[in-house]
Amino acid sequence: MAGAVLAVPAIGFTTVYAVLRFANFAIAAHMAIGAFAGYVVNAWLGLPAWAAVVGAFLGAGIIGVASDFIALRPLRGQGALTVAIASIALNLMLENAIRFGFGNAPRNYAIPLVRDWTLGPIRIGPQQVENAVIAVTAMTLLFLFLGLTSTGKAMRAVADNPVLADIKGIDPERMARFAVGLGMGLGGIGGMLIGLDTSIDPLLGFRSILSVFAAAVVGGLGSIPGAVVGGLVIGLAEELSLLALPATYKGAVGFLAILLTLSFRPRGLLGGRAT
Amino acid sequence: MSLLAIESLTAGYGAHDEILKGVGLRADAGEMVALIGPNGAGKSTLLKAVVGIVAARAGAIRFDGQALAGLKPREISRRGIAFVPQEGNVFPSLSVEENLEIGGYVDRAARRGRIQAIYARLPMLAERRRQAAGTLSGGQRQTLAMGMALMVAPKMLLLDEPSAGLSPMAAGELFGLIKSLHRDGMTVVMVEQNALEALAVADRAYLLVDGRNARDGAARALAEDPEIRHAFLGG
Repeated sequence: MAGAVLAVPAIGFTTVYAVLRFANFAIAAHMAIGAFAGYVVNAWLGLPAWAAVVGAFLGAGIIGVASDFIALRPLRGQGALTVAIASIALNLMLENAIRFGFGNAPRNYAIPLVRDWTLGPIRIGPQQVENAVIAVTAMTLLFLFLGLTSTGKAMRAVADNPVLADIKGIDPERMARFAVGLGMGLGGIGGMLIGLDTSIDPLLGFRSILSVFAAAVVGGLGSIPGAVVGGLVIGLAEELSLLALPATYKGAVGFLAILLTLSFRPRGLLGGRAT
Repeated sequence: MSLLAIESLTAGYGAHDEILKGVGLRADAGEMVALIGPNGAGKSTLLKAVVGIVAARAGAIRFDGQALAGLKPREISRRGIAFVPQEGNVFPSLSVEENLEIGGYVDRAARRGRIQAIYARLPMLAERRRQAAGTLSGGQRQTLAMGMALMVAPKMLLLDEPSAGLSPMAAGELFGLIKSLHRDGMTVVMVEQNALEALAVADRAYLLVDGRNARDGAARALAEDPEIRHAFLGG
């Protein structure tokens, strides 16, 4: 279940990478922005979880497009590494902006506590099931968008070959804005799902960025089905690592997965091109 | 009046890298024009300058009476020029049908009907409509790239070495398709490494050498010119 939740921001990360060809680490702050946008909708406005998910998507997506336009777009001509480093700086600024507005203390969503379901020796948290359902719904909607709509297909075309897409009449800048909005919006949903399971604070995304990055790399950077598989692999590996290792070492799973992938299969599990 | 008129065109990739050094070319409506010449003569660069991928530094390119200078590739394609690059001319992860849909991106209202018309003309594409373009053979991919270009019902086709890397049979089929489009009235400007084949199908031809016009004239006359045969056709 943790894997399905992890897959959502990993898809966001990989979508931005597929169209713009750089690693946008500011997705960490956008996960926190989504979590707080969902919190505002849920705890302050008193709306249910599904409305909070929409709020998380829109909040993170809109701020994602605006911050990309102001901070990263002017640097795109300077190479992928420059923009990636600038995205780390942007991430720090956004996280501190959240801290300025909401403070450091952890907050919880206004959802009722429910007793775990027990099936013999197995205990399942209803919230985790609900999170998995939200994650799968978001991914299904994304696949329908990419597979069935004209804009979704145009986005995939730009990811495949931006020069040819331009010749065929697609505005790459417009598709870049779309990809950033979609990618950061999905990051926001991912942040909220993590927050529903635990609590939210400004560094919520920062703590999971390694797992998100690992999921995208394991699946193959730029491959959306790959990010789903990578999310499931990393999520499962992190949970299983708890059987053998203390919880403090859970973060090492992501590092190990990146190391193994880059050593033995640099294209990732489902990646089409090495980069 | 010529559909495409290029005058004294200078263009290149880097700041000091001049590939075209004052090239001229014209193509009248309904004409098939071949561009031949040795490697590095600037043939492909000329096509890329027309569609806006390579910026022109000096000279003029006019299409249908209007200057194309400073327009982006997508704006030029909207004016009725369809370019088929030599490589990377399909979207490998998209299906054949999705490639055709993207081919018609600028004219979405007409897409359904045109895809059916292309399937009727090129049944091979209809049989593989769900297949990813990256899994097609070289000849099939080239056919798909032609189909994508036809999706906008262009006034002019620019083809960059359409037969490069194809088996003789696949190249023959492709030339058959190009000839039939020309018979239907399409204006075609084609860069070809296979000069003999190009001169056999074209109305007129231009010979470029080192970024300059070397010869031009009726394709048949050029094909019979002993100097050209000796230098470029190995005859």
